[in-house]
Amino acid sequence: MTTEDRRAQIDRRFDETFAVFDGRMRKEQETISQERASRAGSSGQGGSAGEAAGDVESGDGPGTEGAGDVPEGEGDAGSAEESGSAAGRGESAGQASGEQGGGGGVGGGGPKGGSGPSTVPADIPDGRDDDIVARQLREAAMKETDPELRERLWEEYRQYKQSTQ
Amino acid sequence: MNPTRPGLRPLAFLALLAAFVLPGCVVQDQRPMARVAAERATTEVAEDERLDVGVRLFDPNVPESEEEQQERRIFPEVRKAESRYVPLLIRDTLEGTGQWGQVRVLPREGTGMEVYVDGRIVESTGRELELDVTVSDATGRTWYRKTYKGQADTRAYKDGISKPRDPFENVYATIANDLLAARRDMSKDERVRIRQVADLRFATELAPYAFGSYLARDRKGMYSPVRLPAADDPVVQRVQRVRERDYALIDTLNEHYANFGANLDLPYTNWRKYSYEELEAEALAKREALTRQVLGAVAVVGGIMAGQQTNSSAGSAAASAAVIGGMYAFKSGLDRRAETKVHTESLKQLGESFQAEVQPMVVDVEGRTLELKGSAEEQYAEWRRLLRELYENETGLPATAGAAASVPSPRQP
Repeated sequence: MTTEDRRAQIDRRFDETFAVFDGRMRKEQETISQERASRAGSSGQGGSAGEAAGDVESGDGPGTEGAGDVPEGEGDAGSAEESGSAAGRGESAGQASGEQGGGGGVGGGGPKGGSGPSTVPADIPDGRDDDIVARQLREAAMKETDPELRERLWEEYRQYKQSTQ
Repeated sequence: MNPTRPGLRPLAFLALLAAFVLPGCVVQDQRPMARVAAERATTEVAEDERLDVGVRLFDPNVPESEEEQQERRIFPEVRKAESRYVPLLIRDTLEGTGQWGQVRVLPREGTGMEVYVDGRIVESTGRELELDVTVSDATGRTWYRKTYKGQADTRAYKDGISKPRDPFENVYATIANDLLAARRDMSKDERVRIRQVADLRFATELAPYAFGSYLARDRKGMYSPVRLPAADDPVVQRVQRVRERDYALIDTLNEHYANFGANLDLPYTNWRKYSYEELEAEALAKREALTRQVLGAVAVVGGIMAGQQTNSSAGSAAASAAVIGGMYAFKSGLDRRAETKVHTESLKQLGESFQAEVQPMVVDVEGRTLELKGSAEEQYAEWRRLLRELYENETGLPATAGAAASVPSPRQP
């Protein structure tokens, strides 16, 4: 067999393996595209979790800072300068006090710690339209055994749900 | 002279103390955080400047001790997710500038690019992001190491479903600008050398017997090209075809990472948003509790002292009022402190719940990328074998690693 014949033989093997590899990648990318399309479809129908507007005001703090710079090896291509120091501050409202004016208890008020974990207060909706945050709050409240903490978590849930209406 | 009456001294002291303590509770003006923009290319970027960048998955930096994890509020699965998510955002930012060639996320041990961005997550909450970043290139040279720290731009939490920016986009934009500045500090020759070394390292990894002698490595581990192979070298041409597949593999891996990022995006943003609120509320409750307790205690002590030093009934009544008021303030401080427990617990529950949600996503993307890399490894082994056969066929020499290349007519770099 000549050098050219042998080279042609090797090239055929290359072409075969490239074809297998390219096919595999194409298939993988098709699968990914389908998943992306199905996700886009489902998120189109999905709730407005991202629109949940907690009353978070502008940020507080020094923005972005760069610190430290340890060049290594030869040369000093490092950008040593401190990066932007965007100033800004803010407060988180809505969480700070959160006391709601209480109406007088018409019904005489049941025992405060009467319900155990996993019980849901009567005024809490069924949670079918909960987004991720609401769901996490609901789960946390349902798992909580301390009655006081549980009530506060339910209260947070109520406030959060109100803010997303 | 009319000396200050003794009964008023404690009250004056209280006023002074309040002046120091109370500012902690004052709500300051709110100003929007200035936005840092990643510098975009406005003219065509020269070929030698368009280096390919690989952003490797970050070190999640999870402490082994569960106690420390809890103390620092680190949720391992969330951190694992972030170690994939952060490189995606860096990639997107770099790509968006148009200043670079291909920008891809790579596995931790990924190679084959010209510039590498590695990182470690130091701190990541809804409020703050801190990253240790190291940038290096194919020659082994470290461009720089730097710690980036940023506060959340909470407008991102308000923007909801159409959110145009990540809350820490300033951090990513700063990284992109630093990278660009570092590249601009280089000469054209340096950039060209990086590209040559990257090509040769890829070729050497596949066929060391053919290309090993083209690269030199000094004692510091730095690579430099000794000479360049001829463009019409049959082995070089096949290596180039393998490299195209390597790019395709990296592109496919990036599709997986991108899908992972898209799935994570909304729940992660919500988690950070809510964590931010809880962290802020917790900090505020702590500050207020401290203030009330300190003021309350001081008022009680001051009231007692004033009561001892006054002879008038009015002074005595004021002293009593101060004591009662102080006790009330102290009690309200204790109540406020109890509120911090709620926020602390809420943060824990949120983290655990989000961790449970994100874990299957991490497992899924890990599994898929491992599977893909595993099957590609088989193909690479076959290509290595074929290159070896080709080399022996072309040169008539046995393919032994490290042998001086005798590929036809090498050209100088």
